[in-house]
Amino acid sequence: MMNDLKLEVKNLAKTFTLHQRNGMEISGFSDVSFSVKKGALLALTGPSGAGKSSILKTIYRTYLASYGCIEFHRKNGLILDLVSSTESQILALRKQEMGFVTQFLKVLPRITALQTVAAPLLEVGETKHRAFSHAADLLELLGIREELFHVSPLTFSGGEQQRVNIARGVIAPKELLLLDEPTASLDEQSSDKVLNLLMGLKEKGIAMIGIFHDKQKIARVADSSFNVTGNACMNSAIVQKEAA
Amino acid sequence: MLLDVCNVSKIYGPSCNRCLDLTGSEANRAICPVCNSIVAINSINLTAEHNEILGIVGESGSGKSTLLQLIYQDISASSGTIFFNGLQNDRGTPLNILDLPPSMVSRLKNKEMSMIYQNPRLGLNFLFSAGGNIAERIIGSGERRYEEIRKGSLDYIDRIEMDSSRIDDYPEEFSGGQQQRIQIAKALSSSPKLLLLDEPTTGLDVSVQAKILDLIKELQQEMGFSMIIVSHDLGVINHLTDITVVMKHGTLVEYGLTDQILEDPQHPYTQLLVSSIL
Amino acid sequence: MNSSTFAFLDEDAKKEIRRSLLKAVAIPGYIVPFASREMPVARGWGTGGLQITLSIIVESDTLKVIDQGCDGSVNAVNIRDFITSVTGVESSNETSAATLIQTRHRIPEEKLKDNQILVYQVPYPEVLTTVEPDTAKQKQMHGDGDYSKLWVLLYEDTSQYGDSRISNRYPVLVNKHYVMDPSPIPKYDIPVMNNNSALQLFGAGREKRIYAIPPYTDVRPLKFDDREFKVENFSGIACERCGATDVFFDEVRRGNKSSFFCSDTAFCDAQLEKNNAA
Repeated sequence: MMNDLKLEVKNLAKTFTLHQRNGMEISGFSDVSFSVKKGALLALTGPSGAGKSSILKTIYRTYLASYGCIEFHRKNGLILDLVSSTESQILALRKQEMGFVTQFLKVLPRITALQTVAAPLLEVGETKHRAFSHAADLLELLGIREELFHVSPLTFSGGEQQRVNIARGVIAPKELLLLDEPTASLDEQSSDKVLNLLMGLKEKGIAMIGIFHDKQKIARVADSSFNVTGNACMNSAIVQKEAA
Repeated sequence: MLLDVCNVSKIYGPSCNRCLDLTGSEANRAICPVCNSIVAINSINLTAEHNEILGIVGESGSGKSTLLQLIYQDISASSGTIFFNGLQNDRGTPLNILDLPPSMVSRLKNKEMSMIYQNPRLGLNFLFSAGGNIAERIIGSGERRYEEIRKGSLDYIDRIEMDSSRIDDYPEEFSGGQQQRIQIAKALSSSPKLLLLDEPTTGLDVSVQAKILDLIKELQQEMGFSMIIVSHDLGVINHLTDITVVMKHGTLVEYGLTDQILEDPQHPYTQLLVSSIL
Repeated sequence: MNSSTFAFLDEDAKKEIRRSLLKAVAIPGYIVPFASREMPVARGWGTGGLQITLSIIVESDTLKVIDQGCDGSVNAVNIRDFITSVTGVESSNETSAATLIQTRHRIPEEKLKDNQILVYQVPYPEVLTTVEPDTAKQKQMHGDGDYSKLWVLLYEDTSQYGDSRISNRYPVLVNKHYVMDPSPIPKYDIPVMNNNSALQLFGAGREKRIYAIPPYTDVRPLKFDDREFKVENFSGIACERCGATDVFFDEVRRGNKSSFFCSDTAFCDAQLEKNNAA
C-alpha cells in the first residue's frame, strides 16, 4: 500500500521570547497536530490572531518551532523533520518541493507582473519564451488586464496583487503549497477562479495547507480542516470530509 | 559542502590562553581583560553549500569583514581550519586552506574564490584598463590565447551591462557604480565557486545600489556560484541572501534562514538589530 | 692595502660575487642580490657587468667589450681599457676570438660557442617593477610563477595597438619558471638567447642584482599561444657599408634619408674584409 501522506504535524508549538521586553514570552500556538495527503487540501480555520499564519510560517521555517515535529514526506520517499533539519536542507526543499503563497505580495518595484509570475518557471529551467507565455496565460485566466503585464504589481489594487501572488505561487507548483488567505481580498468571480486553480492542483497530486475564512469556500476545496482556536485553548479535532 | 570553517579565530596582540574564553558576545567584549589582545574573530564555525547565498550582519567591529578576509586569506588566521570545495592532498586527506603553501593560495584566489571590496581600488588595478582587469583573472586561471582572453573580457563587460566600446578605458574614467560593476566582472571572469562581497554597494546611490544588487543576483542565478556577503544593511541581506549569520564581538550569535532571522530572531542581539530597521 | 690585486676587486669581493653567480646559474632567471662595490666608474655606467667580468676573468681569457654592438664606442673602449689595465689579459674585437664578452644592449651577430661567456650590463633587473612596485609582492609573484600582470600588459598592447609595444627589454620566460628582464637588447636578439651555447650572466651594479642563463637553457619571450612573436623587420635592407642582410641594423638619418649599418661593428668589419678578399 502506497503511503500517500505528504506532511504530518505533531504536537507543534511556538512561543516567542521577546528579549527587549525582559524575556517576555508570547505563545503563538500550541499542541497543533494534523496531517495532509498528496492531492488534498487542508484548511486552517479559526479567529484572527489564533496563530494560523504562524503555523504556516513554522512549517516553512520562517518561524522556528518551540516544540513538536513536522514530518515532510519527500519525493524520494525519505521523511524529513522540518523542525530539526538543517537550513541547507530547508533551502533545497523550498527550491524543489515546498512553496509558500504569502498573504501579501512581496516584490521589488522594478519587476513587472509578467516577470514576477514567470520567475518560478525560469528557476526550474523553463525557456524564457515558454515561461512568459505560460505566465501571460495564467494572468489572463485570473483576469489581469494585459496592459498591466509590464507594470510592477506594486501599483495594482489589493485584489490584483493577490492574484499575481497566487499565479506566481501555482505556476510551477511544488509538492506542498502553503497558502496564506489566498482568497481574502478577492471578489466572488476572482475567488472562484482561484478555487478552480486549486482544484486543478489537487488533481495533479499537490498537497496544500491553506488559511480560509469562508465556510462555503472550505466546503468546496478542502478535504479536511483544522480549527486553530487560539493560544490558550487547543483543538486537535480534525474534521474529516469524505474524499472528493 | 563548499566551505567549512571550523573553530577559526583571529587575535591581534600578544594573546593568552584565556583570550577566547573571556571575550565574545557572552562576555560582551572583544578585548581580552587579561592580556589586552583584540579578539577579532572568536571560534567561528560556519559552512556554506554549493549555490548557497550567505549574509553576514553585525555592527561595526563585530568581525564580519575580518571573517571574510580570513576566508579569502587577505589576512592569516590565528587558529582554526577551513576546508574548501573538497580540496585534498594526494592521499585524500582534506587540506586546511589556512596551511596551504603560498602558491596554492594564489591559485585558489585567482580561480576558485573571488572577493568584491567596498573600495574598488582594492579590487581593481587602476593601472590596467577595464578589460585588462578582467583579463588578469582570466589569465590567472590559465588561459594563454589572446582571442579567448579578449572574448572573455568582452563577454563579462557585456554581462555587467556595460557598453563594449568602454572595454579599453581605465578605471578612473568610470563612475563609482561602474567601477563596482567592473569589479564584479573581474571577480566572476574566472568562474569562481565562491564569491565574497564586502559591503559591495555601501556608499553608492540607492538607484545604483539596486541595479548592482539585481545584477549580482542575476549573475548568481545564471552562473550558480555560492556567495558570502557582508553588509550592515538588512535590506541588502534580505534582498540577496538565503541564510544569514549574525555576529557580535567576534562570535557568531545566530545562524538561520534569512526570513527566519528577520521574522523570528532568537538571540537578544538579533532582536535588537531587527527591531532597529527603519 | 695591496693596490695591485689581479682584476681590481679584492679577493673577498670576487668571492662574494662568484657565490652569487653560482646561485644565479643554479636557478636560471632567478635574481640574486649582491654587494655591489664602488667602481672607478659611476653606477649606471656598466658597473654590474664590470664587477661580474672582473670576478670571473682569468689570465688566459680574451676580452671583448661592446656597447650597442660597437667595440669602438667611448664606453666600450673605456671599460675594455680599464679591464685590460687591471688584468693584463688580451682583448679582441673579433667575437669568435673572445672568451669573455661584456655587452650593453646587444648580442653579437656571430653565433656564440660553449667556451664563451656573455656578460650583460643591466639597468633594471626586476621585470615586475612596471606592474608591481612592492618588492615583497614581486618575490611572491616570482615564487608562484604568477606573471598575470605582465600578461595583462601584453593583452592591453595587443588590444589597443595590435601587438606588444615593447621594443627592448622584452620579458622572457627562463627554463619554464622565472620571467626575467633580458636587459635592453632589441627583440631581434631575444630568440638568440634560447638554447644558446654560451653562459649568459647579467649584472646590475646600481640595483645590486645578478642573474644568469646557463648554456642550452630554454628562453622564450612572453607571448600569447595564438600570436606570433614579431622581431624588428629589416626585410629589403642591406648594410650600406658591408652589404650584409639579415642582421640587426642601426638607422642613421641624414636629412630625410635613412641609411642602415650593421649594429655589430665587428661583424661589419669581417664582412667587409671578406668582400674585399673576394
